Amino acid sequence: MAKTGLCDSKPLLDLHKKVDERRAPLRTWANACGPIDRRQPAEVEEPKTVPARVEPERRWERRLSTQTSESIIMGFHEDSQTCSAADECVENAVLLYPHGLQGLHSLQALVPSLLRHAVEVALEKLDLIWDRGYAWDLFLDMMRTQTRNAFSNADLPRNFTDATRAVLVDWIIQVHELVHFQEETLYLAVHLLNRSLRQLKVTTANLQLLGMVCLFLAAKKEETLLPEVSGLCSLMDNAYTRNQLLRLERKVLCALKFDLSYCPSLHFLLLFASVARASAGMVWMARYLLELSLLEGQCAVFPPVQLAGAALCLARQVLQEPPTAEGEAAWCLASSIHVGSETSLLKIMHILARTAAKAHTRETCATFIKFSSPETMHVSRHPGLKNAAGLLGICS
Amino acid sequence: MAHCTSMQYEPVAEIGGGAYGTVYKARDTESGKFVALKNVRVPTDQDGLPVSTVREVALLKRLDQFDHPNVVRLMDVCATKRSDQETKVTLVFEHVDQDLKTYLDKAPAAGLSPDRVKDLMRQLLSGITFLHSNRVMHRDLKPENILVTSGGQVKLADFGLARIYSCHMALTPVVVTLWYRPPEVLLQSSYATPVDIWSTGCIFAEMFRRKPLFRGDSEMDQLGKIFEVIGLPPEEEWPTDVTVSRKNFPPLSARPITDFVPDINEQGAQLLLKMLTFDPLKRISALNALEHPYFQEEEALIQTNS
Ligand SMILES: Nc1ncnc2c1ncn2[C@@H]1O[C@H](COP(=O)(O)OP(=O)(O)O)[C@@H](O)[C@H]1O
Ligand SMILES: [Mg+2]
Repeated sequence: MAKTGLCDSKPLLDLHKKVDERRAPLRTWANACGPIDRRQPAEVEEPKTVPARVEPERRWERRLSTQTSESIIMGFHEDSQTCSAADECVENAVLLYPHGLQGLHSLQALVPSLLRHAVEVALEKLDLIWDRGYAWDLFLDMMRTQTRNAFSNADLPRNFTDATRAVLVDWIIQVHELVHFQEETLYLAVHLLNRSLRQLKVTTANLQLLGMVCLFLAAKKEETLLPEVSGLCSLMDNAYTRNQLLRLERKVLCALKFDLSYCPSLHFLLLFASVARASAGMVWMARYLLELSLLEGQCAVFPPVQLAGAALCLARQVLQEPPTAEGEAAWCLASSIHVGSETSLLKIMHILARTAAKAHTRETCATFIKFSSPETMHVSRHPGLKNAAGLLGICS
Repeated sequence: MAHCTSMQYEPVAEIGGGAYGTVYKARDTESGKFVALKNVRVPTDQDGLPVSTVREVALLKRLDQFDHPNVVRLMDVCATKRSDQETKVTLVFEHVDQDLKTYLDKAPAAGLSPDRVKDLMRQLLSGITFLHSNRVMHRDLKPENILVTSGGQVKLADFGLARIYSCHMALTPVVVTLWYRPPEVLLQSSYATPVDIWSTGCIFAEMFRRKPLFRGDSEMDQLGKIFEVIGLPPEEEWPTDVTVSRKNFPPLSARPITDFVPDINEQGAQLLLKMLTFDPLKRISALNALEHPYFQEEEALIQTNS
């Protein structure tokens, strides 16, 4: 747990690369590289060895007894009734890895270690950790803390409608793309916006400024390179002064009590996709659906893991890729991560399916356009999205 | 908004003139409870609050969510503008009755009981384990930065800010005590979480002695005082990335730690030596220290009693 190393301390969720803390160099608008292909869904490499330990590791044991990994993994209990299907899947998974089965007492005992291994590999591949020894702790931590990122209701302040919110988020998405920030920054910015709207009184005239401040704060947390404030002001046609922006920055920080922690649904999506060995097309589709969720005010009530899980499930149903034994097994392993009740997953999938079906007709279509490019495999134009809602009726 | 903090919190008294600003005891007019207000002045430039401050305070907030019993609660944070060049960040902590320095000063003449020391040490180490497993170093552990409630609960304070300060160190001529600094810091070698273990070792000894173990008045003097106790380390343990030569120090050999900490028991002395190990890589970790027989002993005693 507390492994000490001779490196400088690094906050656990400090996922961005190390920054020169004294002075973040300013990004020039022109030479920055595009963010879209930063996380090309990589081919999932075949894990060469599977942890063959029958005895769970001590640390695992400790976690099991004192913490919440029991609730994270479904079908792990001896007396679990959800086994028949899961058993088959585990068996499949096991059959794919004929090594390391010596002395195995029960197939179920393998789920935690298989899953753990897959999660560790995935986190490493996603560059979310730099030492695999911390990976499982990080994952449990992500699962625990993300529940705090959901709101108890979708209510917005008076004279501020869902439609206004969507326009503002759509604008943030455009600016975000323009300044080539990382995707995490967008998710954090929208989360900060959601919180600010609930904590602060902002006039309609200052909404755009609030959106920009949230993006700027998210960038201060996540980005290595920061744009100049004057550049941000010019992106708002200089409708606001630098001083106005900096004053609102302090105000937002105070209102949020400097709490900028957030576990982006995107990380869960990429993690689950990696464990599930999802195809590149499926990952792009899920990313598109997940980004659409930012535009929907009602999605703020769901925790990030559920949004990620629902986006991935919907993507899978829309694409209807021909099943392979290996793919099904990996999907089962990913499904053994407990993300939430089926009802809430279905609810989210319905919202996303509806949004995706009419995305191209909307005024707020920055995300639709972004994901219609060849680099994103034109996922937003996929014909299956037109009647995705109908699909759900049959498949669930 | 500029006065949200000063309006809600009514200053009652000045607690400590810390190195970086004054800490006030205040009353939260909303809850009636006492809080400790700490002001940090950060220079701002054209881009507003520095990235380092935003991240570091966010980290403190994040750690706070875990509600660790041995870490002081950060209840509120507020930023107010002082001038174009400076913003005041006010941190509002729960108020704790005293720090460990006062606690030790107030202890009866006979000193703390061995059980009390053990209990304080266990709490101290579990707070440090928590910080370290979240990859946070305290870097300035000393009795003044460790708070003790009237019920005897230990709470680590004054951490995480080290990095905000270090960026603006030039602003204030700061005198920071050397007494709890590990050799690698004194030698300006690279350092990591083991620094906190060294400081904890010094504090462990101080709980018995009720005065600091190594009281140097310069970096070299401090190193000299350390080697008088633990002996001059062998050549191969001397860090290679430092300018200070090992030859500057007399070839002393280690003296029994009980010469300096007479009241400590045998297991305690063993643990203390593992914490005061010159080589940071060989120094015991907080988690392993908690599992040391020194902490098991007492339980064995209770078992035989019952
Ligand atoms: N939460 C608190 N409750 C009571 N006293 C405190 C609290 N925090 C700090 N103090 C007192 O104020 C002193 C200085 O605070 P500290 O946070 O260590 O600031 P500095 O960085 O200036 O050393 C401490 O040594 C302690 O005595
Ligand atoms: Mg202090």
